Amino acid sequence: MQKTRFPAVVTTFIVSYAFWILLTWSFSAQELAAGAVVSLVVALFSARFFIHERAFWLFSPLKFAYAVIFWLGVFMVELVKANVDMAKRCFTGCKNINPGIVKIPVDIKSDYGQAALANAITLTPGTITMEITEEAGQTYYYVHWIDVAKPSGKEAGDAIKGTLEKWLRRVWE
Amino acid sequence: MLRVIIDILIGIGAVFALAGTIGVIKMPDVFSRMQASTCITTLGVLGVCLGALLYAIFVMQHPSTAVKIVVIAALVLTTNPVGAHAIAKGAYQAGIRPEKKMETDDYRRDFDE
Repeated sequence: MQKTRFPAVVTTFIVSYAFWILLTWSFSAQELAAGAVVSLVVALFSARFFIHERAFWLFSPLKFAYAVIFWLGVFMVELVKANVDMAKRCFTGCKNINPGIVKIPVDIKSDYGQAALANAITLTPGTITMEITEEAGQTYYYVHWIDVAKPSGKEAGDAIKGTLEKWLRRVWE
Repeated sequence: MLRVIIDILIGIGAVFALAGTIGVIKMPDVFSRMQASTCITTLGVLGVCLGALLYAIFVMQHPSTAVKIVVIAALVLTTNPVGAHAIAKGAYQAGIRPEKKMETDDYRRDFDE
């Protein structure tokens, strides 16, 4: 079990407080004070589960800009492409599928980066990440793929990840 | 004009939700059905939320509602893949296999038998 560190508490507090303000959207002094107290308590108890690595990475403007470009730009384009593809398969009778589970190598070291990439892969229709393993220093994902075009390994990885991995490495490294 | 754009966005969301629903009913096995259901939770939700967001900003002119719609979209998009990943892995480890043999199955090769 990890110890509660001060930077982690600060970051968790900021995130919780931002959520409080977004959900209440009222700026009277009473609401703000109550939110600060509740966020502080939540941060003290949950910071050690929430933050495992550097606590302030999102507060670097460049990383934040990369994160915004990734989630609102690059990722949305991939999402729309995959959705149109999946919708075509569904409307043409679900016969045109070729499912299988492939194993792909991934070159992201950070835990958060790996989690974000796995979530991004799962969120695009047509691929679901099932398991993350590490063998001899190299991280592998097991991905269920609705239309297996290439056998396991680097080529399948390039086809599934596309530009996602490159951008996530910029955000987290 | 604005109402037309809002209606088109909500219509796009509805079309992708319909596609996902057809997929959930007609796909042959658990994993393929889960793949189809992702259509509903991504572009289905995003289309409807985007339409509702424009409606809240320009027609209702109510910032509180607009912010809550953004929070809804963000929460659906961040929590959905966690559940999908857990269900797929759980189904596989509980012994559910598709009737038709899969094209490649590295997971069985490395973890089973």
